[in-house]
Order: sequence, then C-alpha cells, then structure tokens
Amino acid sequence: MTSILVPQLGNEITEAEVTEWLVGEGDEVKEGDLVVVITTTKMAMEIEAPASGKLTKLSAEEGDLVEVGAVLGEIG
Amino acid sequence: MPKEIPVEPAAALARAKVTFSDIPVCDYDEPIAEERERRGDANLREILRHMLLVREFETMLASYKSTGAYRGIEFAYKGPAHLSIGQEGAAVGAALALSPDDHIFGSHRSHGEFIAKGLSAIATLDETALDAIMDEHQHGALRDTVKAHLGGDGKVLAENFLLLGVLAEIFMRANGFNGGMGGSMHAFFPPFGAYPNNALVSGSSAIATGAALYKKLADKPGIAVANIGDGATGCGVTWEAMNFAAMAQYDTLWSDPRGGRPPVLFFCNNNFYGMGGQTSGETMGWERLSRLGAGVNPEQMHAETVDGTNPLAVADAVARKRELLLEGKGPALLDVQCYRSTGHSTTDANAYRSRDELKAWAEHDPIVKFAATLTAAGVMSEAEVDAMRESVGDTIGAVTRAAVDPAIAPIVDVPNDPTLIGDLMFNHEAIDLPEAEVPVLKPPAQVANFKSIGRKARFGLDDEGRPLSGMRAITLRDGLTEAVLHHMLHDESLIAYGEDVREWGGAYGVYRGLSDIFPHQRLFNAPISEAAIVSTAVGYAMEGGRALVELMYTDFLGRAGDEVFNQMAKWQGMSAGQLKVPVVLRLSVGSKYGAQHSQDWSAFVTHVPGLKVVYPATPYDAKGLLASALSSNDPVVFFESQRIYDQVEVFRAEGVPSEYFRIPLGQPDIKRLGNDVTVLTIGPSLYPAMAAAEELATQGIETEVIDARTLVPFDYDPVLSSVKKTGHLVVVTEAAERGSFAMTLSANVARFGFSDLKAPPRVLGSPNWIVPGAEMESTFFPQAHDIVDLVTTEFFPARRANRRGVRSWDDIDLARRAL
Repeated sequence: MTSILVPQLGNEITEAEVTEWLVGEGDEVKEGDLVVVITTTKMAMEIEAPASGKLTKLSAEEGDLVEVGAVLGEIG
Repeated sequence: MPKEIPVEPAAALARAKVTFSDIPVCDYDEPIAEERERRGDANLREILRHMLLVREFETMLASYKSTGAYRGIEFAYKGPAHLSIGQEGAAVGAALALSPDDHIFGSHRSHGEFIAKGLSAIATLDETALDAIMDEHQHGALRDTVKAHLGGDGKVLAENFLLLGVLAEIFMRANGFNGGMGGSMHAFFPPFGAYPNNALVSGSSAIATGAALYKKLADKPGIAVANIGDGATGCGVTWEAMNFAAMAQYDTLWSDPRGGRPPVLFFCNNNFYGMGGQTSGETMGWERLSRLGAGVNPEQMHAETVDGTNPLAVADAVARKRELLLEGKGPALLDVQCYRSTGHSTTDANAYRSRDELKAWAEHDPIVKFAATLTAAGVMSEAEVDAMRESVGDTIGAVTRAAVDPAIAPIVDVPNDPTLIGDLMFNHEAIDLPEAEVPVLKPPAQVANFKSIGRKARFGLDDEGRPLSGMRAITLRDGLTEAVLHHMLHDESLIAYGEDVREWGGAYGVYRGLSDIFPHQRLFNAPISEAAIVSTAVGYAMEGGRALVELMYTDFLGRAGDEVFNQMAKWQGMSAGQLKVPVVLRLSVGSKYGAQHSQDWSAFVTHVPGLKVVYPATPYDAKGLLASALSSNDPVVFFESQRIYDQVEVFRAEGVPSEYFRIPLGQPDIKRLGNDVTVLTIGPSLYPAMAAAEELATQGIETEVIDARTLVPFDYDPVLSSVKKTGHLVVVTEAAERGSFAMTLSANVARFGFSDLKAPPRVLGSPNWIVPGAEMESTFFPQAHDIVDLVTTEFFPARRANRRGVRSWDDIDLARRAL
C-alpha cells in the first residue's frame, strides 16, 4: 500500500486545495501517471502516482483543503 | 491550455541546415515610361513638388538656425532642427505608397516624413473629408487662421493648414498641431495618418508594433510604419520590437478572426550615420542593414535594401511590403539608403565625413536626380521645374511669415495659466464598462481557480479575530485577479500580456485561471522583452485600445526605462491631451531574492511626471484600486508587493465585496485611529506599522496608521489632519530612504503641518545599500521594532526605552560615507 501525499510546496505554504481528481477510485494507475491536481494560493500542481497499482481509496474530495503531508489517496 | 506545442527531441536534434534566401539590394528597375503610364505625368510632377516642399521647409529651418532669418523674415528659433535634407526621396516615396489609414511613427528627424505623409493624405482624401478634418481640429480655429492669413481653397487650403500647423508646432506655438507641446521632434497629426515622432532613437519601433497589433485585433484598415534610422539597429528595443511583431504564436495559437501577424513595416532611413558613428563599417556588424531580417524569422522580414534617392524605387518597395502586411505576413523591413547631406543637427561640423564623400552623394541628390529624370523624359521642362521651385519657395515664405507672427500663431500663455502644461498631462477620465460579457472559452464559474475563490471567506479573520489562511479567505492576489477578470470580461478592447502570464498565471499567480477563459489574443505570453512589452502597450493604447502589462519584477524596470519614463509617461502631455494612453503597468516588488530582485523603485516612477502611481496593501484596496486603474484613461503604474500576495483582508469587517467596485485614486486611508503619533505607510509597510501600533499601545502610545494607497495623485488632507492631532509623523517605506517618495511626503508635511509638529517628521525606509538575501532582510526592510524604536527614542525619549533594531546609525555620518 502506497499513499499519495501532499508534497512540501514551499517554505511558507501549509495547505492546498484539491482541485481535480484525474482518476477515480478503483482505477488502475501506473507510477508517474498524473492522478490529482492540487492548488496553493499561488499555483496549481499535478501530483503523480508514487507507485503502480489500483487506486483503492480517495481520502480527499475536490474542493477540500489539505495540509502538507496529508494523505490524498491510497494505491494498493 | 498549456503544452499545445510539443518540443520534439527527434525534430530538434535531427541533422539539418538553416537556410536563407537572397536579400535584394537596389533591385528597382522600372523604366520611366512605365511609371508615366502607371502614375500619370501630373502625379510624377507632384512627387517633385512634394520633395521640393520638404526641402524648402527644412532649408528655412536651417536658415533660422544659422542666420536667424529666412527670405528677409527675422526670427529667433530656439528649438532643435534635425534636418533630413538629402533624404526627401525616402519620405516622399514612402508616403506615395501609403494611404491615410496607414499610420507612420517617426523619429527626431521626421519633418520630411510628416510633411510628405500629410501631402499624400491631402492628395488622396476628397475635399469633404479634408473639410471635416480641418473643421474638427481645434474646432476649426487653425483652418480659419489659415484661411484669413494664407488663403486658398480645397486642397491648397489643406496644404497651407498642414504647413502652418506643423511649423507653428515646431515654433512651439499654441495653434501648432500639438498645442506647442510637441515641437520639432514630436509633431504629429493623426487625421493624416502621421502619428508621434519620437526624440528617442528607435522610440517608435515598439510603439508602431503595438499600433499594428491594435489594427490586427480591432480589424482596422492600414498598416503601421516605424520610421527609424540605421543607428536604431544598435538599440535593444528595435530587436525586441521586430521579434514581437514576428512572434510565431500569432500563427500557432491565436484565434482572432483576422489572423496573421501585426502589419508593421520597419522603415529604416539608412543615412549611413548614427549622428557621427558610421553604421556600416564602424559601429554595426551587418554590412548591409537588410541582413537583419534574416535573423528574425523564416520570411526574413521580407527584407530589402532600397535606393532611397529615387522616390519611385521607395514607393515600389513600400507598396509591395504593404500588400504582404495587409495579408498578415508581417513584419517587413526596408533598408532605405538615403544620404543626409546636411549635419545631424545645426551644430554638426561634419568632422566625421569627407568633402569628397559629400560631393559624391550630391550627385545623387534625390531632387536633382528626379528633376533630371522628368525633364529628360519630357514630363516637364526645366523652366517648369524652376517655376515650381519658385512657387514652393513662395508657399514656404508665406507660411513662415504667418508662423513667426504671434498675432497669427500665438505664444503659449504659460504666465497667464502657470499650470497649463501640467494640466495637459492627465485627462482624469474613467470609462464605463458595458453590462454585457465578451465571449469566453469557458465561463469563470467552471474554472478551478474561480471555484476555489468562490468558496473562500470574504473577510480574513475568524470569529475569534484570528487570521485565516490564504486558502480559506480572499487574498490580495485574489482581489487583483477579480478586478482583472471583471475588466477582461466586460472590455474587449483590453488585452493583457507579460512574461509567463498564461499557463503559469503570472509568476505570482495573479492571472491563474484566466488562460482557461480568454483566448491568446486577449492574454498572451510575451517574450522576455520588457521594453517592447511596455512600448507596444503604449502604441496599442494610442490607437484606441487598452492594455494591461506587467514586468515580473520591479527590478526589471531598468530594461524598460525609456518605455516607461519617456513613452508611457509623456505622450498625453506631448500631444497637449489629444492622445490617450490607457495603459496599466503592474510592477511586482520582490522579496527574499536579494539585491537585483527585491527593490521598491516607486521613487523612480513617482519622480517622472505623467504617471499615476498606486501601491495597495490590502485585498480590498488592491481590488478597488486596480479596477480604478483599469478604468482610467491615464497611464497608471501599479505596484504590488510579493510579500503580501497571500495577505487576507483584516481591516474591513464587511470583507472584500465579490461584486465589482472602484476606489478612487489619490485617497490615503486611515487604517487605525490614534492621538499620539501618525505613521504613514507605503505598500506593505502597513503591516509592520500595525504591529508596532499594537506594541506602542501597550506602552500607552496611541498610533494613527495611514496607508498612502496611491502615491500620485495624493491628498495630503487626511495626513495633515492627523498630524494636527498627534504632532508626530513617521513615513515608512521599503524603498531606499535617499530620494524616496517618503522623503517627498515628509517634506510636504513638514512644510504644511509645521506649526502642528512637535518634532521633525521622520522617514523610516530601507538603508541606502543593496537589499541583502532573505536571511538578512529583517535587518534591512523596516520592521515593527524599528518603528517602535524610532517612536520611543525620538518622539518620547523620556520613556528611556531600549532599542531593539540595528538602526542606531548616524544618518549624517552615513551620508559622508556615500550611504
């Protein structure tokens, strides 16, 4: 099981918004695929799948605010 | 929509050759018989007459500069005279191929181009159109003066109108074309397609490019011509403008209905000398100026070298380039060789060229050669040429006699209206926005960034008064974004551009989401060409558009120095208010990036007359002031601090309205009330001042904090009223103290509030040394404790507070050390 995490986004940024999921729960993803777009006050960022497998769980919905380091989803 | 044009490694790395096609040099070879057939003998004679008029007009100016008289008419002309004697073939030839809808933008040496363009427009326009133009200009006053003192009907009247209008302008008279505010180097008259002449070498190159961009986007007829010299090819802005006009994105990404590239012709009057430096052979490496086209785009700018001593060769080349430009295949470059037979100016001793060279070119004098061609071909006799010369002399004599007479061409009456010149610089107009929205690629409500802004709180403090994060409440950045969105949605004439503004959303995200809403022709990535970014905006605005442009860092202002300080700032004043330049220039003041990326240069901008200057510090002010700037018909420089883009609204409990609103420029805003000391802040200094006020309150000192918000214009009343109450003033700025706008504010309060002050007013700015890196910034930019130190030690010394900051230096000693 590998978690998709909110990365460190800069010195002063502590949270980001989940803007768009590019894949759905249950989809198969390959490592490096773009899975979710998150947005800080300044920029939007595409997050890649950290591993290959099935997206077993989405922990945050579009529009949610998430802290740096939070789990966005799980790849099983 | 990023990533539309993939960079393919296979294509980039494949073995190949960059090839060039031949660039024609002096290729014109039309027999005079063909030209007679095509143009008619009467028109050929007119070409000669136009060249003679230009020559005689400039001979008159030369005569005034050297002898103080012309044809017995004495006059002390005090202004400059950069003459183009010898270059008439280029000016008249080009004008012959241009229509009144084609707009020329000139240089300091453009009397000839101006007169030739006017004569060509008069020849082309019918008498009804000419009457309407003369009737509209100064409500017919100049026309009536010309009628009374020079006479003539129809086209003769119009020519006298042209000549007196320009000569009165050169003599800086009130009824000159530009009210005497332009003078010799700047005279222009848009109804004849003669747009501003520019005293800065290559000043017109990017302005003409911006004008051409407007013609393309607003689908207006005609082309724009940048009349520059060979010396201008050494200027950076020339290259920037040529590239800006040639950008691939017009073809690859834009979807405007007309399509194609901006119709701009770079017309280089190549007289072989940039003042005294010899371009080919000494100061430039191109050997042939036309070679430059090959470096700009695959079409090589359709570049050609043309024999500028022959007006027919020039007309032929300009007509061919004009066709290409109207098909959207611009830009074009003409290297028009036209030797200047007189000096650069009337103080030129010709030390840089030989008598033999001057003599050799005298044989190629365009007037001598063309007259000979016409007489040899039987178009006119030598006696007719002499009679024409005499008649032209009489015309210029009569115009001159009128122009030197203050009863006919009145002197600008500054003593009677001492602020007259200043009042011409600003129109203080604001546009109304139409209700209707322009067509968009995607409605804002469906765009992620605007959905996200829509979820945010409009006020930045929670129920317990703690600040919310920028993800949860509207930030200063969001305030700016909302103002830009509203104007872009309701004003189709507004275009926005700068470096990385599209996919990136601007380096600080102010335009984030806008690329999903607006097509490339409304919002585009500019090349890294700060000079062209600003000057194209000026040209775009002069023609009737509105432009919002940005420099990524204020520190890059130096790269656009002429364009901001001489072009954007000056044209409203130099046109006596006839031109409007609605340009908003956003300048982002850096933070944490050290000496070349973190400077507040508001002092430079406020120092130069002709610009309105805004520097907001809160989301509410940022939104309302940017809306006012974008509505303004005056040029506005809008400062933003990178340190506070994420700042939420903490002052206005009602929050930042989601609806559109404007805050008038010029009103400082009291952000906190107090009776003991007034702290006037510029830009982000508001926040350390608020923190200092909190701390001072614990010591029983009540601080009134006033946010300047706008620097030009500025209403001193709220500050003077405050000082009346407190008796103490500190002006806080992040700019280096020496020569800062804070010093101006402080000096004026010292003067007008002297009797209310209990101590000298103080400026607390950055020290006069380089901005250090992020680690040391707190020792550099004024901090809350620096303000507390100053107030307690200087205004309330009896309290014997300990100093916490590092600013214990002696300013007098620093000044001695150049600091």
